This record gives sequence, structure tokens and C-alpha cells, in this order.
Amino acid sequence: MKNLRKTFANDTWVMPYLRKYKGLLILVLFLGFMTFFSGGALMFNSGYLISEAARQPSSIIYIYVPVVLARAFGIARPVFRYIERLTSHNWVLRIVSDFRKKLYQTVESKASAIQRSHQTGDILSILADDIEHIENLYLRTVFPMVIGWLLYIFVVIGVGSLNLVVGLLMLLLLGVITIVMPLASVATNGVREFKQHQIQHEFYTNLTDEVLGLGDWLISGRYDDFINLQKKPIKEIAALRKQDHYFQWWRSFFVQFIVLLTTLVLLVWSAYQFTETKSLANWVAAFALAIFPAVSPFVNMSQGASEWPVYRRSIERVNALDSGDKQPVKQTTLNEPFNELSIDNLTFKYADGDRDVVKNISMDIHPGEKIALLGPSGTGKSTFLKLVVGDLTPSDGQVLVNNQNILNLQDVRSSLFGILDQQPYLFDTTVMNNVRLGNVDATDQQVKDAIAAVDLKDLIESLPDKYDTQVQEAGKRFSGGERQRLSLARILLQDAPIIILDEPTVSLDPITEKKLLDKVFELLHDKTIIWVTHHLAGITHVDQVRFMEHGQFDMQGTPQELYKTQARFRQLYDLDRGKA
Amino acid sequence: MKSLIDKRLFDLPGMKKYAAILGVLIFIQAVAIIAQARALSIAIVNLWNLQSINTIVVPAIVFTVAFMGRHLLTVVENRVLFPFVEKTSGDMREDLMAKIFRLGPAEIDKRGTGNIVTMALEGIDQVQTYLMLVIIKILDMSITPWLILLYVLFLRWEQAIFLFAIFPIIILFMIILGLAAQSKADRQYEGYQRLSNHFVDTLRGLPTLKQLGLSKRYADNVYEVSESYRKETMSTLRIALTSTFALDFFTTLSIAVVAVFLGFDLMDGKVLLLPALTILVLAPEYFLPIRNFANDYHATLNGKNAMSAVMDVLHEPEMTEREILPDLKWEKGSTLKLDQVSLTYPDTKVPTLKDISINIKGMQKIGIIGASGSGKSTLINLIGGFLSPDGKNQISINGHQLPHLNQANWQKNFLYIPQNPYLFHATLADNISFYVSAATSEEINNAAAKAGLSDWIKTLPDGLNTMIGEGARTVSGGQAQRIALARAFLDPSRKVLLFDEPTAHLDIETEASLKNDILPVFNDHLVFFATHRLHWIGEMDYVLVMDHGRLVEQGTPDELAQRNGDYVKLRSEMEAADL
Repeated sequence: MKNLRKTFANDTWVMPYLRKYKGLLILVLFLGFMTFFSGGALMFNSGYLISEAARQPSSIIYIYVPVVLARAFGIARPVFRYIERLTSHNWVLRIVSDFRKKLYQTVESKASAIQRSHQTGDILSILADDIEHIENLYLRTVFPMVIGWLLYIFVVIGVGSLNLVVGLLMLLLLGVITIVMPLASVATNGVREFKQHQIQHEFYTNLTDEVLGLGDWLISGRYDDFINLQKKPIKEIAALRKQDHYFQWWRSFFVQFIVLLTTLVLLVWSAYQFTETKSLANWVAAFALAIFPAVSPFVNMSQGASEWPVYRRSIERVNALDSGDKQPVKQTTLNEPFNELSIDNLTFKYADGDRDVVKNISMDIHPGEKIALLGPSGTGKSTFLKLVVGDLTPSDGQVLVNNQNILNLQDVRSSLFGILDQQPYLFDTTVMNNVRLGNVDATDQQVKDAIAAVDLKDLIESLPDKYDTQVQEAGKRFSGGERQRLSLARILLQDAPIIILDEPTVSLDPITEKKLLDKVFELLHDKTIIWVTHHLAGITHVDQVRFMEHGQFDMQGTPQELYKTQARFRQLYDLDRGKA
Repeated sequence: MKSLIDKRLFDLPGMKKYAAILGVLIFIQAVAIIAQARALSIAIVNLWNLQSINTIVVPAIVFTVAFMGRHLLTVVENRVLFPFVEKTSGDMREDLMAKIFRLGPAEIDKRGTGNIVTMALEGIDQVQTYLMLVIIKILDMSITPWLILLYVLFLRWEQAIFLFAIFPIIILFMIILGLAAQSKADRQYEGYQRLSNHFVDTLRGLPTLKQLGLSKRYADNVYEVSESYRKETMSTLRIALTSTFALDFFTTLSIAVVAVFLGFDLMDGKVLLLPALTILVLAPEYFLPIRNFANDYHATLNGKNAMSAVMDVLHEPEMTEREILPDLKWEKGSTLKLDQVSLTYPDTKVPTLKDISINIKGMQKIGIIGASGSGKSTLINLIGGFLSPDGKNQISINGHQLPHLNQANWQKNFLYIPQNPYLFHATLADNISFYVSAATSEEINNAAAKAGLSDWIKTLPDGLNTMIGEGARTVSGGQAQRIALARAFLDPSRKVLLFDEPTAHLDIETEASLKNDILPVFNDHLVFFATHRLHWIGEMDYVLVMDHGRLVEQGTPDELAQRNGDYVKLRSEMEAADL
């Protein structure tokens, strides 16, 4: 119970939607109840029907009502069930749409425009799975449980109104199946589920590790080690699963035992209650036959409940996403064209870090200037870029565009900065749609012009579907260089005054790299460019080179100056050209 | 219906024996079901006749025994089957992993890491569930209803005929509706995949959407796509559920019809209450197995698909003849010869490598250069034995003709250092000593020092015992290369080094300092070095120039420079201007 309260203490994922779609929810529960009610009523009625008929009444009129009812319940049960299933799926899918939007917005508020890799894909898939888990929570646990309880209350009150003692007995016996057993299942299974999850996680990590390093395993010839590494978790999981199965089987058996007791109680009760007269005795068969269909929804309640720990993990995970929202900052716009980007004493330290990643950096950048930024990985280049575009809030100092703080310009940021990074993302849609993302109001002709400008016109028009070609997952249809060019076309459409190049050529071969850089600087000659690069190819395109080390600039000047005056720069440049 | 049962199911070792045992158990269970119905009916009829409560004691006891026996048998059936299923699926998982080991990295590239891992984990679990469900349910469906029917026939043939006749009608309707739903459900599943991919796709592309200032607006797009999917789903679900509805409708209505007709017959005195009641109690039991079977349709379908996916991998052809090469120590006089070797990937028509001929002797340093897609990596993978050439016996080592280089004794001789060396989730020391598990910590320390790792190790909290790899301390690209290098220093017996663009994504300063540490390892080794970073060529004594899968030029760097051919052209295209 404490766990339950903890899970829902700050819940924004489950309860609000239960409230939002209250009407449909009640309908689902009603239909579910009616399905089982009709099933029980059919047997109840049939039992009465043949008992009465066996008395051979003088006229068919005596069994007329039961005959009609038998057909009615016979049809009602499947119809209710059919509608119930449609409604519940519809209800859940509605919620899923809301979930997806909400999850998207949550991730969106944390995403950064400067990103070095897309490894987060795995985490995102887990989140997407969590949503499905919550979907199943409703279909497999919440609905069957609530419907079961409604039926439980109905049976207890129904029998209790005829005989208080038997009603109390029903309350106890059926309470064991509908309340005690599910709770016990959650308790036992919760522990096991948790353990199993841990081992499973370990197994997953081991296995992924082994598969990723398969080449090394193969060459090392360590076949036995390779096989043995998984044996332990497999064994442990198998042992747990065995316990789990045995528990389930004996639990079902126990539930059936309670069903038996219920049946016997009802039988004995009918023996006393309904054997006064012949017409009363017709009810014996009615009650006895109704038991099995009536208790059928109770049988699976424990199973639904025992799945709860899986769902709880998902609920907690998505709820944890919400915490730590940033305070909104007042936004403003720029009325005049860009004239200065001023970086003023910029310092930054991560909340959990022990040192400044960026230390007292100052510089002013004016329209048309082109600056290259170099430095080994981990020296704070990408943190610096995040600060410049306002994805991070500096610990000290500020970034100003035309004397306005960048943090106040986030709503108009895409009209200031265009960004080309290592792996620009292409969405799984057509070429046309992908490029148009640069400016959603662009005409087809403008999109085609941008594609022509990056020299992809011939390639795209040679494809069977031309501009409607699907780029496939993550742009797989095209090579690395072509993907960069498509992204460059996007940036041309975006037409922002400042362009940030974040190692756009890191995964390209030198020839492709050279051609791409020539194209970039040719097309963007009138833009301001901040270019983070990992080596010196194409460095002649810029006016200024800055080396960054431990969060600070340590070498700066035009490429020509640096080549003349700095031995280190000269050595690196020659190495890069293959002359060293 | 048939599509649910994989033919290969019956080829599983031990299957027939277990099917026989379970068949007997299910038969006894069906008898218990009949006894239970009979006893309950007797008790009710006695009460209906206003007889004393003593008359129902015996029937109630029989009912209790039959009822509990029936449910106890369910437990017994599961317990009998479970060890078999556990062993079968466990063996399958081991076979799968062993197979993957033999198929090697090429298979992983083909199917994707995530796919393989999911198959070995969840896939096998689904197979287990499938086996647990499907075997018992099929036997239940093929024994229980018929035994009940036989008994009803013995009680009253009219009802037996009705029940018998309704069965094929139900099956027929399920097949008709099932087929209609199936084709739509398949499309539906694709739609589902598309949506799920669309969602992950959108999340992954978030940084790009942010860059373009579209991220806020896109939230509505996510919602709309999901809503249109909901509408699409509901329209197909309506058909899919109709199939379940048909089953439900016919079985429930049949019971109602049986009750009504029994009612009329009772009135006419054609039948007594006891047999009538027994038939009525048995009618739901008659339909129960088929309903159970239909209810688990989806769980079984997933399991069946998982099983065929696993079987597909298990039946994939693998490179045999891995032991042709006798024990080998690569030495100064050793030779490796490729004669007109071509290589075509399975699902392509154009060969990726075409007519490659090279003669390698002793401890050469061989640079492999060419534009992207020229076949450099494929050549390295061929030499590493991860890929098999098209023709037979075009490769030889020390004069031994070989079908491919996936030779256990060749693999003992080399180390492979790719662009991103894989680091295992283990300590730094374990990662370095991956190829030499018996190494002492002193040897590991020395190797780490030679690879230029000492300064970095000093900054680590637990030194060489620090955990690295996925989920632990992250290691930069430069350090990862040094760890791979340390492996080479640690294992002097491996005399062949395969480098596949090891510095491609490193920054120039890291590359410069790494180069100083790599060069010493070249001594006394045969080196294959695929690269497009020009400065490495200076360290090579032989260069292979690749273009579109062909080896267009080979020779020493000086020879090639003088020849003024592809090598010179390639260099000029790559080189930057003077400053």
C-alpha cells in the first residue's frame, strides 16, 4: 500500500487520464460487468427453464419467459463482450495519443540542439515501451480487476438479500479470490519480479556486450568463455521462472478449491432454502449452474494483479521524467538584423561537476566573420556551443545578440542560428519533406532550388521517385556526404544569419570532406560561421582559428599567422596534409 | 488455425513421448469433467425431487473428488511438460548463441545487434510460452470435446448431433473471418510498426527539430499521427474482433438453444431431467477448449513467429572447413597469397571486391587507401576471415590452399583494431588482457605504459581496476584506441595487425600523439592499415590503392609516386593547400 501511494504521489501519467476520459471508462466497466452478468444469467435461466419444463406444466406459457430470456442472454453476452472490447481498446488508444504527446513534450523540454550522437535511441525506445506497458495496465489489470470487484459486490449483495449468513460466507470465500489472492500475488511476485528484472538486466547487458564485441571473441578463440558468460544468468532466471510457474499453477488450483467450496455452500444452502415446495426447487439448478460462469472473471484476477510490478516500474520511470522543469524565462524578439554576437566572460560548471568546463571566455563576433574552433575532445567545445545557443544557462557571464541576452531570445532562435552537426537527422519521410523542414512555408520550387544549390539535383532526379523518395530510417538511403548536403539545403532554406558547424565532416572521407567544406563556405559566404572542427582540413576558409584547452582559448590568430609563428600549429597542419 | 502450428514443432526431440503422456492425462481429465457434471446433476435432481439432504452427500463427494481431480490434473500436466519445454528452449538458446559465435560479426551486421539480443532473450522466452501453451491446448482440443460428445450421444443423440454440427460451423466462421482479419491485421501490424518507428524517429530527431525551431510545434504532429493510427486501428479491430465475436456468439447461443430444446423435450416427456441437466452442464465444457485456444491466439502467434525466426538463424549456412590450416606461427618467411579473389555480399549482385591479387611476405607494412566505398574495409574483413570469398581455393598461407581465412589457426595470429574498438563492460585490466587471460598485472601495466595510457590510468579512482564500457566510465575515442593498442603490446605472439581506419574520427592533436605510440608496435609485425589519412602512408612500405572494389595499383610509396597514376591522383584530391 505504501508503495502504491508512493507510485502515485506525484503521478501525472495515470490518474489525470482516468479523470479526463471518465465517461468512456464507466462505459467500459459497465459493458464488462454486463458481459459476465449475461453469461451467469444465461446458465441461471437455463437451469430454471429445464427444471420447470421437467415438471411438465400444462401450458407452454409457463416456460415462455425463460425461453425468451435464454435467447436474449445468449445473444447479449457476446454482443456486450464485443462492444466492451471495442470500447476499451478505443479508450486505451485515445490515452496513448495523449501519452505520446506528453512524452514528446517532456523529452523536448530537455533536448539540446547541440548533440554529438544519437545513442539516446535506446533510452527513447525504453520510454516508448513504457507507454505500451501503461496501455496494458489498463487492459490487463485495471479493467478486469474493477469489473471483477463489481461482480463480487453484486453476487454478495444478491445472495445476502436472500440469506444473510450465506451472503457473509460468499463475502469471505469470494473475497479470498478477489482481494486476498491478488494482494498475495503482488507481494510474492513483486519480490521475484524485481529480482528477475535485475538478473534480466544483467543478462541483457552481458549479451549486448558479447554481441558487440563478437569480433574480438572470435579472434581470441575464447569460445568456452563466451558460452559460459551467459550460463549463470540463464540458470538464475530459469530457477526464478520455475518458481513463478509453480506458484501460478498452485495458485490457480487454490482458486478452484475456493470455487468448489462456494459451490458446495450454495448447494447445501439450496437444499435448505428451496426444498419447501416443488416450484421453489426449480431454483436449485438455477443457482448451481450460474456459479461457474459467474466466478470465471475472478479466476484471472490474481494474474492481472501480479503483473503490477512491471507496470509500476514504467509508471515510476515516466513520472520521474517530469521532475526538474526549468523556470520559464521571459521571451522577447529582435527587431533589427543581426549585428553583433558578444560572448562576455562566459563560465560554466555542470551541477554535478567539480570544475569549470568553460572558463571566462570572451569574444565578439560580427556579421560575416568565420571562426574555427579546435581542441581535443572533452575540452568544452560542445558545452561552449550549447551556451552560445542558449541550451545551457551559464554559471557566470552571458551571451548577447545585439545586446539582448540569448536566454530571452529562445523563441526566435531558429531565425538567428542554423546548425549543421555531425549526424544531422533525416526523418523517415520523403526528401522533399525533410528539406522543407528548414522552412515549412517554402514552396516546392524553393526546396528544389536549395537541393540544386547543394549539387544534389542530378542525383535526386535520377531516382525513380525523385523528390518523393523515402530517405528511410535515419536517412539510410543516402551516404554520409549526401545526408550532410541535404541538411545543408535545409539550412539554406532556414536562412539564419549565424551558422554553427559542429564537426560536420567527422565521419566523411577526405575527398568528400573537402568537397562538402568548399560547398558550405561557398554557399554561406555572407553568413557568420562558428565552426568546431577536429582537424585542419579546409582551415583556409576561415579568418580566425582558436584552440581551446581546458575550457579556455590558448592559441589564436589567422591560419597564415599561426602557421608562421606557432610550431605546434605548423606540425599539426603538416601532419594533416600528410607531409609530416 | 493450422498456421498456428509449426510443423517443426513435432520434430523437436522427445516431443512424441511427451505428447503421448499428456494425451493420457488429458483423457483422464475429460473423464473427470464428465463425472463432475454427472455428480452435480444428480445432486440437483435429488433436491429438485425434494429428497432429503442426505441423498446429496454421495454425489457431492464424487463431485468434489472429480472437480479437484480435474484441476489437479491441470497442475500435473504443466509440471510434466515444463521440464521438457525448459530443456528445449534452453538448448535452443545455447544453440543460437553457439551459432552466432560461428557466424561471426558479418551476421551481426546483417541482422543488427538489438535484433540478435532480443531474439536470444525475449524471443526464446516467447518460444517457451508458445510451447507451454500450444502443446496442451492442441491436445485438449483434440480429446476433450469428443469424449464429452460421445457421452452426450449416449445420453441423447439429438443434442449430440446438434453440438457436433455446430463445431465445424464455428471453425468455418473463424477461418473465414480470421482470414479477412489476418490480411488486415498484417497491414495493421505494419502500420503499428510504422507508428512506433515514427514516434522513436521523432524523439531521436529532436535535436534537429530544435535546431530548426520546430520542436514545439511538432508535439501536435505526434498527437495527430497517433490519433489517425487509432482510427485506423479501430476499423481493423472491428473486423478482428468479429472473429472472436462469431466464436462467442455461436457457442453461447448454442448453449441457449440446447437449453430451450431440452426444455421443450422435457415438457413433452421425451427426456428426463437428469440427462437433460447433465447435457446442459456439459455444453459449456464442450466449447471450452476451442475458446481457450482462440483466447491465446496472439500469445501463441508471437511465440510461433519467434520460433521461426530462431530456426531461420539456426539453419543459416556457416563457413565450414575452419581447421584446414595447420598450426601456424607468422614469421619472416611466411607468405599470404590472394589470387583473383572476388567477394559478393549475399543480397547484392555486384561484387564488392573484384579480382584482388596480392602476395605478402613476412613483416611488411601495408597501407590500404581509396575513397569511401572503394572496398578497404571489406578487404580487411576478408583478411580477418569474417567474410568468405566467392571462389574456392584462391587464398593460400605458406602454400596451404584455403577456402577462406576463417581459420582458427590464422585467427590466433592477428589482432583487429577497428575505427571504434569495442570495450567490454569490465575492468580496464580485463579489457587489456582480453586476448591473454593469464597475463600478470605487471605485464598489463607494462603494455598500458607502452600504449601511452599511464597518465590517464593515474587519474582513475581504481587505476587498472576501474570499470569501463557500457554503463560505466566513458572512454574517449583516443583512449579506446590505446586500450586496443595495449592488447597488441601485451600479446607478442600475434604478429599480424589489422587496422581499419583507427584514427578516422579523432581530432588532429589526439591523432598526432597516438601516432607516436602506435609506430613502435609496427616493428616486427605484418601490418595491414586501411586509412584515408595521408600521413600514415609515410610509415608504410607497400601500398594497395582500391577503387570501386578493384585493386587498381600496388607498390612501394616511391614507386607509386613515380608512376603518376591513381595513387598520385588520389593524393592530390585529398591534399590541402600550402599556407
